[in-house]
Amino acid sequence: MRQVPGRRFALALAALLVVAVAAGVLAGPSFLRPAEVLGALAGRGDPSATAIVWSLRLPRVALGLLVGGVLAVSGASLQVLVRNPLADPYLLGLSGGAGLGAVLAITAGVASPWAVPAAAFGGALLAMVAVYRLAAVAGGALDGRVLVLAGVVVGAFAGALVSGLLAVTDAQGARSAMLWLMGGLGGAGWGTVAALTVYAAPALAVLVAEARSLNLLALGEEPAQHLGTDVARTKQRVFIAASLLTAAAVASAGIIGFVGLVVPHAIRILRGHDHRALLPAAFVAGGALLVLADAGARTVFAPVELPVGVITAIIGVPVFAFLLRRWTARSSS
Amino acid sequence: MAARRLAVCRWSSLLVVVAPLAGCARQPPRHGPSHVDDWGRTVTLAASARHIVSLSPSTTEIVFALGLGSRLAGRTRWCDYPAAARVVADVGDGISPNVEAIAARRPDLVLLYASPANRPAAQRLEALGIATAALALDRAEDVRRAARLIGALAGAERVADSLVAAFDSARAAAAREAVPPTGRRPRLYVHVWTDPPVTVGRGSYLAEILHDAGADNLFDDVTTSSATISLESLARRDPDAIVVLTSDTLGSPPPLADRPPWRAVRAVREARYLLLDGSLYGRPSPRMPLAVRDLVARLRRLAVR
Repeated sequence: MRQVPGRRFALALAALLVVAVAAGVLAGPSFLRPAEVLGALAGRGDPSATAIVWSLRLPRVALGLLVGGVLAVSGASLQVLVRNPLADPYLLGLSGGAGLGAVLAITAGVASPWAVPAAAFGGALLAMVAVYRLAAVAGGALDGRVLVLAGVVVGAFAGALVSGLLAVTDAQGARSAMLWLMGGLGGAGWGTVAALTVYAAPALAVLVAEARSLNLLALGEEPAQHLGTDVARTKQRVFIAASLLTAAAVASAGIIGFVGLVVPHAIRILRGHDHRALLPAAFVAGGALLVLADAGARTVFAPVELPVGVITAIIGVPVFAFLLRRWTARSSS
Repeated sequence: MAARRLAVCRWSSLLVVVAPLAGCARQPPRHGPSHVDDWGRTVTLAASARHIVSLSPSTTEIVFALGLGSRLAGRTRWCDYPAAARVVADVGDGISPNVEAIAARRPDLVLLYASPANRPAAQRLEALGIATAALALDRAEDVRRAARLIGALAGAERVADSLVAAFDSARAAAAREAVPPTGRRPRLYVHVWTDPPVTVGRGSYLAEILHDAGADNLFDDVTTSSATISLESLARRDPDAIVVLTSDTLGSPPPLADRPPWRAVRAVREARYLLLDGSLYGRPSPRMPLAVRDLVARLRRLAVR
């Protein structure tokens, strides 16, 4: 397939971002008029509208951009690392570990607003360490296949513990743990946004710095080694940075599927495999997709809120199917 | 003595479980009371039920309210009312119950909550020759129907009729008292869970109590019994108070104000909470008129404050 020229692609991404942010700020279950929203943004007008825009909508938009972007970048890097197009940020046991942490915190009944996110983060880190140790023992230099297997095993173990915990706790706690895990940006405040920004920036920087090595790694480990990449070190860095990003995303918004799987592929189809362009583009597109999806999630069945993962899939699958069809049609002709 | 009784229970449970395998399943001729339960099945007993296992806190309350507490042979771990229920043997959970623990109580009738998750247990109990009745106890109206069905199966029809009549008149009397003092019906948000925010919808039992007490459920436009709602709609709808069910009504309310997004809700900022007894408000029971009176009194105090 002919790729979209760089300039046009960048413009389209910028337009998508603007549309997403506008939808995120303007759409909501309480039908504020655009003038009211603008007034609230400027700090004028009705205090209830100001509270809704400043403490509910804007933090959601900001968190959506960050989480969507982080998931897409993490997914893109892991797809290269394990050399598997099906890889997504949760493949390496992280969702299982995060789920276990969250369920533990909820069943323990800790009331602090940071308890569940912190426990989910801790659980994901624990899973990451377990997967890393397993893969290092079994596969030498982080063999992709061994990583995937270790991830599946650790995920299954955590999943079994979660099922056991849910069976012995009361129904409401179990239901709430499931709801939290399904993911959403509703609990977002500026504190969460700030914490994720400070935390994600270095990990993102590491991945962008490794973008050239990722390009070479995509060719295969041997060619990459011959072309001067320290393959073992690159893989180690990518694994740790991508896992830390995913753990932080899960802690701030639960498990949001699909963004990390499909956005990287869509960018590859549109713009090619150069990770120096792909990673930043995936960050913007992932963020925009999640913000759009979240605007839908809280508006479509208002006042009832849908899990945002439902909408990311509903928007993402047709778009991806279209791109895939165009790609296969072009490459066969 | 206790140990010996326990041993007998263990052995009898083993016998009951093994018996069908041996091809001599205990299937007594049934020609006693026969009634249709909430799964539309006909429940037939050999005689009026004498050993009842109740698998939901609501049916346990109804059994006691019918004066049949002494016939209760088992209850769930959630059955905490009346106090006498606590001395009845605990058979564990009410949803996907432990069939062996129930069979060990040698009941002639098991009352189940009519959840699809309970169908396999009902089938296995029936296969053991134990009659089961499924009761969908979700609303106030269901209390009346359940009382009549349990009364009929236990040969206490007259008691059931008078319980239903007393329930109806107490409910009507409580609702008459509930004229809102300010003239405007207070709008209450029912807090079920914080992250994500979950509340109750129209037609839930709690919404019925709110309505009888002269208040409105803030999310009565939600048609399911409970739902995840967006904080934005909660902030915009601006409830008069936040209802929280708890086991400790004198304790502290959930720390919602610790979460920045929740501070967009005025009732959270002003800490306007109503802490209600979960055992009284949280399950359909003959005590509903008590709950309504309790809420009316609390709403008066809230208005005075």
